[in-house]
Amino acid sequence: MNRTLEHVLSRVQKPARYTGGEYNAVVKDKSEVSVRFALCFPDTYEIGMSNLGCRILYGVMNERSDIWCERCFAPWGDMEEEMRQEGLLLYGLESGDPIAEFDMIGFSLGYEMAYTNVLNMLDLAGLELRSDDRRELTPLVVAGGTCCYNPEPLAPFVDLFVLGEGEEVTLEYIDLYQQAKEEGWSKEEFLLEAAKIEGIYVPSLYEPVYRPDGTLEEVRALEGAPELVTKRIVQDFDKAYFPVKTIVPSTEIVHDRVMLELFRGCIRGCRFCQAGYAYRPVRSRSPELLARYGKEACEDSGYQEMTLSSLSSTDYPDLLPLCDDLLDYCAPRDIGLSLPSLRADTFSMSLMERLQRVRRGGLTFAPEAGTQRLRDAINKNLREEDLITSCRTAFAGGWSGVKLYFMLGLPTETDEDVLGIADLARKVYFTWREYSPNKARGVRITVSTSWFVPKPHTAFQWEGQIPVEEYQRRVNLLRDALKRDKSITYNWHDPQTSYLEAILSRGDRRLADVLEWVWEHGGKMDSWTEYFDYQRWLDGLAACGLDGDFYAHRERPKDEIFPWCRLSTGVNHSFLWHERELCYQSTTTPDCRTRCSGCGANKLLEGGRTCG
Amino acid sequence: MADRLLFTKTGRARYISHLDLMRTFQRAFARAKIPIKHTEGFNPHPFVSIALPLSVGYSSQCEILEFGLLEGTSHEEVPERLTAAMPEGIVVHQCYPAERKLKELCYVNYIMNFDYPEGRPQESEPAMEELLGRDSLVVRKKSNKAKAGFTEVDLIPLIRSRRIECQSDTMTVDLVVSAQNPGLNPELIRNAFCAQYPEYTPDFVTFHRREVLDGEGKPFR
Repeated sequence: MNRTLEHVLSRVQKPARYTGGEYNAVVKDKSEVSVRFALCFPDTYEIGMSNLGCRILYGVMNERSDIWCERCFAPWGDMEEEMRQEGLLLYGLESGDPIAEFDMIGFSLGYEMAYTNVLNMLDLAGLELRSDDRRELTPLVVAGGTCCYNPEPLAPFVDLFVLGEGEEVTLEYIDLYQQAKEEGWSKEEFLLEAAKIEGIYVPSLYEPVYRPDGTLEEVRALEGAPELVTKRIVQDFDKAYFPVKTIVPSTEIVHDRVMLELFRGCIRGCRFCQAGYAYRPVRSRSPELLARYGKEACEDSGYQEMTLSSLSSTDYPDLLPLCDDLLDYCAPRDIGLSLPSLRADTFSMSLMERLQRVRRGGLTFAPEAGTQRLRDAINKNLREEDLITSCRTAFAGGWSGVKLYFMLGLPTETDEDVLGIADLARKVYFTWREYSPNKARGVRITVSTSWFVPKPHTAFQWEGQIPVEEYQRRVNLLRDALKRDKSITYNWHDPQTSYLEAILSRGDRRLADVLEWVWEHGGKMDSWTEYFDYQRWLDGLAACGLDGDFYAHRERPKDEIFPWCRLSTGVNHSFLWHERELCYQSTTTPDCRTRCSGCGANKLLEGGRTCG
Repeated sequence: MADRLLFTKTGRARYISHLDLMRTFQRAFARAKIPIKHTEGFNPHPFVSIALPLSVGYSSQCEILEFGLLEGTSHEEVPERLTAAMPEGIVVHQCYPAERKLKELCYVNYIMNFDYPEGRPQESEPAMEELLGRDSLVVRKKSNKAKAGFTEVDLIPLIRSRRIECQSDTMTVDLVVSAQNPGLNPELIRNAFCAQYPEYTPDFVTFHRREVLDGEGKPFR
């Protein structure tokens, strides 16, 4: 460890975040690798180390003897200040070498409020922010993750974006890079060639053309650029890499446990959900393989907790036998098994008993909307009876708390729907009164609402976000309705970040100037209340002459050219529009197992087989 | 009685905090497939306890951890298997049944290195001698219990012996201090020195725990 770093570490909070050296961290001889990759997560170590995608890519890359992938996270403010003062450049945790010396710098983009951290990390690395100003092939700045389905606000800063699952395409562009490096290609030559790889979007090869009203006339594909970039998927999930041997942090992180990914995609088709559309088609892992991975990962890591992860775990067909298999292993070893992402209609007695065997966590359901009509409109195919039955099961089984998640501002929402949330919460309360075996313990019912953010590539991509005053009015309406219910706690999401998310998630390339302005004026760690400054963002928008409401609140016409029109998740545009129309008729679409709705994502599968 | 480990904590592992270190050991035992006793109660977990917490950033070659080895593993095989399951910087040297009570651990030997990369001021050595040779040296110490947020403590009675060695760019203070009830964190000595002799404030000070001792000054195990 170098002397400057040693001095700095003695002065910062939680220094173990900045040292590396954890169990299973991969250390290679740098003279024996040809590509060094800095896998950057634009948030703290605790958040970034909890990201399963990063753990997968770290493993995939480091399996190759010619690649050394190291990790890099955003330093907390005290560390950043020390680094800037001491002239310490952002470094890879494994080697301690500055990432500016690496071949590639890859960011994982999972949420919009981390964008300023991307800029800040590039700056801390000692690099130019804009792709144009980094003339050399090396280091190449790449990005992947869910936000890349509309990466336009970051387009000027990143050399190439990866759409979809990175297991295979990452190695493909690294191979191409190796060739480019050996043969001395220019950066432009490399990018033009990389754009031919399916799933790679090179933003500099596309030119947005705006109309006077600020909407897009077109996004022009320059010569050699594909008309449409379609995301990549792993074809056979049983053959996909699973990180059995994974880094065990020496300091506590957010998700400090074995994460067992049951399947990718989701059969449900909730119309607001970007993940539900973007991760199609559904591909499951076999229960035998999962049980084996789960056990091996526990043995290798020594973790005392395992969690099953997916977009909707109760939709996994073999969930009960899998839980039984895992519990046979976990229970005698005091290893806890937890199961987030439960759907309230499929939470059964038999599942509950299994989860209770080791340790009991909280129970969270997300009905999303208060009335059946609105739940049908957003295609959250959840019936009230099923939610109540699930709560009855839980309360009868001794649970004394339930969290209920909702969104306000969904398309077609009326006051009746808002008040329906209060009614539903009360029904849950009455269910507890009727079925709890131990009322003396009391009950905690938590209702949380967030402000709906329309996302690209969903049925609601054309929607305007409701104005903030209207959101606040609906919050007040619900708060007043729940005021007398002492057992029901109501939390609502602060609207400021939701507004900015609405701007950035469907934003165009002009927002890059706003990001840079906000960063220049001290913006970073915007998902942390310690750092977030709303006014700074409003000032940034004003300084760049852009209107936030244009992005957030404007309803788009059917023929709107979206900033992400060159990118495809495999789901047809026409299917999304049709789903939107069904919303306004409050008509549901069956889940993918009941009936294929022909969204188009199955064409991503070799041979175009049906999914599910 | 319980079993004990003697281990070193150096390099990058210096920055692992006390609580995190216990968690690291719990997991390392599981990784090494060395079954150990669990706590009783509602939420059983592997029992481990560290004799003397070490400040974050300090290195040590004499850390002691208590636990309970279950049948099936011999003491001899523990160090190698456990070290293989450890993060970088933690090496287990011995595993043995405890024969003495922890309260017999009375003193700790620390090596403090005062770095002066630009050259050490000649007078720093007599200054340190003067400071540690006083009859009394009362300093404020942070305390979570005291209402004021600090308590006052006299460092001198807590120092059993000292030796100062100097080179052109370092001053090494070899200290034996009280270990517990109350113990003395050598950082207080650094702070007192820098407060009394700000002109000799070093560029950096490293802290190393070299040995834990019993009442007679012999290594405690």
